[in-house]
Amino acid sequence: MSENKKRIWILAFRQGLAFIVISAIVALAVNQFRPGRINIVGDWSAEARFRSDDGNLMVIAFEEARKLFESQDATFIDARPEGQYHQGHIKGAMSLPWQSVNDYFFEIEEQLDSSKPIITYCDGETCELSHELALFLKDMGFNNSRVLVNGWSLWLKAGLPVASDSDADEE
Amino acid sequence: MAVEKKHVRLILFHIARFFLGGVFVYASYDKILNPDVFAQAVFNYQILPDNLVNLAAIILPWLELIIGFCLIIGWWIPGAVVIVNGLLLVFISASFFNLARGLDVHCGCFSGGILGTTSTRFAILRDTFFLAVSFFLIYMVFFIEKKSDFQSVEFQNQFTQNFNILKERK
Repeated sequence: MSENKKRIWILAFRQGLAFIVISAIVALAVNQFRPGRINIVGDWSAEARFRSDDGNLMVIAFEEARKLFESQDATFIDARPEGQYHQGHIKGAMSLPWQSVNDYFFEIEEQLDSSKPIITYCDGETCELSHELALFLKDMGFNNSRVLVNGWSLWLKAGLPVASDSDADEE
Repeated sequence: MAVEKKHVRLILFHIARFFLGGVFVYASYDKILNPDVFAQAVFNYQILPDNLVNLAAIILPWLELIIGFCLIIGWWIPGAVVIVNGLLLVFISASFFNLARGLDVHCGCFSGGILGTTSTRFAILRDTFFLAVSFFLIYMVFFIEKKSDFQSVEFQNQFTQNFNILKERK
């Protein structure tokens, strides 16, 4: 009986391999000729991902963001959940968590200076919160909305001014 | 009454393979229709290297569809059962891994909380249930020893026929 058992496992292995190969062939063939096909190797760089609907790059370089921070010529908005904002955020940044944007946007809107560029940020190379928020703000008329990719980590690493709820600062 | 127990086990086996097959066919549908959305989801898991994301997003749904289909119609059951188990183990491991490192796969951000969102927890629970079902399929296909178990059952069915075909081949 164990001989039979071995045969079943070998058969299963062969069939499994066949499944994978057949699926790959069918999948790639279908993908090639369909509308809505995607590239076999996709461009997942930050430049490709953080674009606006009309294809413009929304990323702002770290150095440029820092200059705008130092000259106070931009508004920084933290797209992360409130809890994380309270634990620490870029000094002077406002909190507008993307996940509750509908609740808070109209309060924040009044405080936004539409002549200054807005820089959204969150945490991590792949974090989409800042991107979604920037797109949203653009739709709401704040055309100069940019994304500082991996903003929070980069800010900390560079040792630039931060604030948290325990500090006196809030503006 | 020993015969009845084998009946029940066999019926459960068929229910299980129809059920799991149906789940996989259903799950594959959206992913095949919207490969770009699924690719974004695969990317958000941050497990595969960027260059393999699209390849996985293209192939995986078709594997699910074909496996599900074969489970339902009873073709190549041993292979299908192994693949189903493999897929579920991979999905659950991926979810746990991201849960452990606090990565929220919906937004691609580190939420800081290790317990994850409700939808993540639900997904893991659901996949664990599917895994239990697929473990049962493995048990039935690979660990039910005697051919006579099935031959004694009145139901002549696709699985029994396949089982006999497997035995006759070499």
